[in-house]
Amino acid sequence: MRSKINFYLIEYALNALLREKYKSFFIMSIFTLLTFLLTSVFFITNSIKYELQSTVDTLPQIIVQKIKAGRHYDIDESVVDDVLDIAGVDDAVARVWGYYYFENAGVNFSIVGIDAYEKQYKKSFENIIEDFDFATLEQTPSMVVGRGVKEIMKQSYYDEYFNFIKPDGSLKRVDVAGVFDGQTQLESNDMIVMPKETLKEIFGMDEMQATDIVVKVKNPQEVSTVAAKIKLIYPDTRIITTQDLQISYQNIFDYKSGIFLALFVIAIFTFFIIIYDKASGLSSEEKREIGILKAIGWKIDDILKEKFYEAFILSLFAYLLGVILALLYVYLFQAPILRDIFVGYSQLKTSFELPFIFDLHTLFLVFFLSVPVYVAAIIIPSWKIATLEADEVIR
Amino acid sequence: MILTPEVLAIFILNTIFAFFATIAFVLSVKIFLHWNIKSVSQSQYKLEKQSYLSATIIKYIFAIKVPLFLFFIFTLDKISKVITGAMCGAGVVDATPYGTYLLILKVINLYVFAYWLMLNSVDMKNEEQPYTKLKFGIYIIAFFLLMGELVLEGVMFNSIDIDKMVSCCGTIYSSTASSYISNIFSIDTGMLLFLFYGTYVLIMLFALLKNKYLFSIANLFFIIISIIAIIVFFGTYIYQLPTHHCPFCFLQKDYYYVGYLIYIFLFLGTFYGVIVAFIDAKKEQMQRDTKISLVFNTLLVLLLSAYPLIYYIKNGVWL
Amino acid sequence: MIELKNVNKNYEVNKNNIVNALQNINISIQEGELFVLKGASGSGKSTVLSLIAALSKPTSGEVIVDAKQISKLPDNFASEYRRDNIGFIFQKYNLIPTLSVSENILLPLVPLNLPAQEAQQKLQRVMKMFDISHKAEAVVKNLSGGEQQRVAIARANVNDPKIIIADEPTANLDERLSLSFIEILKELKALKKTIVIATHDPLFFNLDCVDREIELHKGNILS
Repeated sequence: MRSKINFYLIEYALNALLREKYKSFFIMSIFTLLTFLLTSVFFITNSIKYELQSTVDTLPQIIVQKIKAGRHYDIDESVVDDVLDIAGVDDAVARVWGYYYFENAGVNFSIVGIDAYEKQYKKSFENIIEDFDFATLEQTPSMVVGRGVKEIMKQSYYDEYFNFIKPDGSLKRVDVAGVFDGQTQLESNDMIVMPKETLKEIFGMDEMQATDIVVKVKNPQEVSTVAAKIKLIYPDTRIITTQDLQISYQNIFDYKSGIFLALFVIAIFTFFIIIYDKASGLSSEEKREIGILKAIGWKIDDILKEKFYEAFILSLFAYLLGVILALLYVYLFQAPILRDIFVGYSQLKTSFELPFIFDLHTLFLVFFLSVPVYVAAIIIPSWKIATLEADEVIR
Repeated sequence: MILTPEVLAIFILNTIFAFFATIAFVLSVKIFLHWNIKSVSQSQYKLEKQSYLSATIIKYIFAIKVPLFLFFIFTLDKISKVITGAMCGAGVVDATPYGTYLLILKVINLYVFAYWLMLNSVDMKNEEQPYTKLKFGIYIIAFFLLMGELVLEGVMFNSIDIDKMVSCCGTIYSSTASSYISNIFSIDTGMLLFLFYGTYVLIMLFALLKNKYLFSIANLFFIIISIIAIIVFFGTYIYQLPTHHCPFCFLQKDYYYVGYLIYIFLFLGTFYGVIVAFIDAKKEQMQRDTKISLVFNTLLVLLLSAYPLIYYIKNGVWL
Repeated sequence: MIELKNVNKNYEVNKNNIVNALQNINISIQEGELFVLKGASGSGKSTVLSLIAALSKPTSGEVIVDAKQISKLPDNFASEYRRDNIGFIFQKYNLIPTLSVSENILLPLVPLNLPAQEAQQKLQRVMKMFDISHKAEAVVKNLSGGEQQRVAIARANVNDPKIIIADEPTANLDERLSLSFIEILKELKALKKTIVIATHDPLFFNLDCVDREIELHKGNILS
């Protein structure tokens, strides 16, 4: 069996690559760039998907919104009692929340109102209630802010308190009682938590109304049934389930990756052509070399093998380099520029870190999208070289 | 239509395959019609050179197809998470009417291409190149099989509907379902195991008797009987669940990807076993092929038998 | 040992222009002979060499080496034959200039994938024989013409071939180096190698060690 690896041939292939320094370097740069881009995109999407998934997981199973004239409207708190009567419903809470535009910094805060005695629909709120004494917060209007929010406020010299502008133009002073860290960074970098009463005052909402109602269902499989029942009782509501959210998130993603991949198909094709062209363009020096090898007894198969070793060394090296660069770029430098394409949250100026998700599958995927394409591009040029007439070239 | 990056990658590679396979096809037809090893004409000399290109292309396609096949299974597994109802590759294969045929065709093509490579290597070792016409003739057939596979693959991924509910492997591979796959469950387990181990013993016996035709036929039979035995009997011990018969689930991480090992053993063992009757190779090579076949078939039998045995030792009962 | 029977060789320059490089040539060379092909450039002597080395195939006729029809060998077998039986010394040496001396000499052995020890043995043997050991690691392009030729000869002999073929070996050498090349030829002859030289260098004419000479003219044998 001749299956033993021929190290002489590998050494020769390596030498041949080094001899054609500029050509090898050129091909390797393109190849590395390609794998780098590809791997980066997959790493980023994987991480964002993970981040989004964990965000979605923390979201309530059902959200009930009141719709009036096709627009979202405040809902009566009394709806909660009706919902609680539906079989299978574990809990229902009226939420008060909204966005507050802080003109000075050009930033949107999302503000959430909570009551200390209610059952909280989010784990992070329970922690906040434990950490801060909400009963006293209600006495002197005060709030707990996310770490990012605190910094933005500080830039405008609001350290101890913040002045909200109410709908009627008057100011409402709210003290900063503390700072919290959210479960996910996306979630909490722009978030403020305060008592419901205070928030209703800032937003100018009615005493007995809420922004929407969140419902918890005991058996996750029954979510759609419960959602249908609520819709039946209150036809003027819009019911959003986590499943809907997940699908719409997924759609946005698939759309963005789709655009990228369409571009990528063109890139692959271009890559193929460039490699084909480079591999075909033989200097007379190279031709002579092959002629010599054939004249001293190398077979066509030996030369083909040598060419494939060359291709394999080059592509494997470029592939590994591309992947390593992508790892550094995405997880160490947090993928500047590229990330914005996929996140699109930059308007909110929220910053978040891409969590490190290492997926072997992605590496295989990138491998199949790069190495075979490269090798395919050199098949015909290599064959042309290997079947050169030695007799004619070396004279 | 489902277009994940994985599917796109498979499509891109398929396009490359189709392109190169067509080149090789055109050359093969020329070689098949005009090959004359005795001739010293320019055209024969040109054909000789072109035969190298065809061979290189076919080697390339095979070299990529093998890992791509594993990647394909992996992709099916991944897609199964998007499709409602499917829990592993079986659901995806079953999601369209083409899945099963595609899979069968893929496996056949693997055997055909591997056979071609063996024929090629024997051919190239002989100064007369006695198989050149034959091997390019075979490639002409293999080309259509390959194109069929590529088209079928495109059609399958195109017709997968993410919103449609599909069966999970529990219903496809269950003895109560009425699908044609469930017919195999009517075979008695004792009988099946007898056939499985019996065929294995026969393979050993024919190797000792040095009868390559019987050896080859026994191996061919072993492919089918092994797959059925895996579905009906051994699978349940891998899952440690008497009702779980899926031949895909054990490709997943939860079972340490053992499925890949099983199928690789099965392929190598039976391929080298079947091949001996089809190639008129030198004696040493035939002995070598027989040895490889025996080694991998034995490994397969040991690996599969280990599951029920370990289960019995641990629990003191059979499933 | 080497026999050319009724060999014709045509080169097709283009459709309307076919050059008859050799016309009905019959040559027979015995084992251990030092055989010289004379003739002006373009007389067809290089073509004869490449036919013997199976680098090209005759348009008609047979080339038989060691009772083996080499004119009809498939390309891979022609290469194997060349690798195992022929040591080719080219006019322009045809070394790879950026590789070292030892790397160049080892080139014919690369596809054989020999154990490192065996390859080293072969390398040391020929480097010693042709007095190039001291430059083993030097890069070929920095060597003098004479040294380069010794490397080329060493490479031709590394696989211990039965037949040595040299195409205008002294064309680029001065007289002193040419004479030392002839000494090397004598050594090779002493090793019972069959040697075929194509040359128009008068230095080779009427040498004692030359067994036979043939003169070619426009593809025909003159004498």
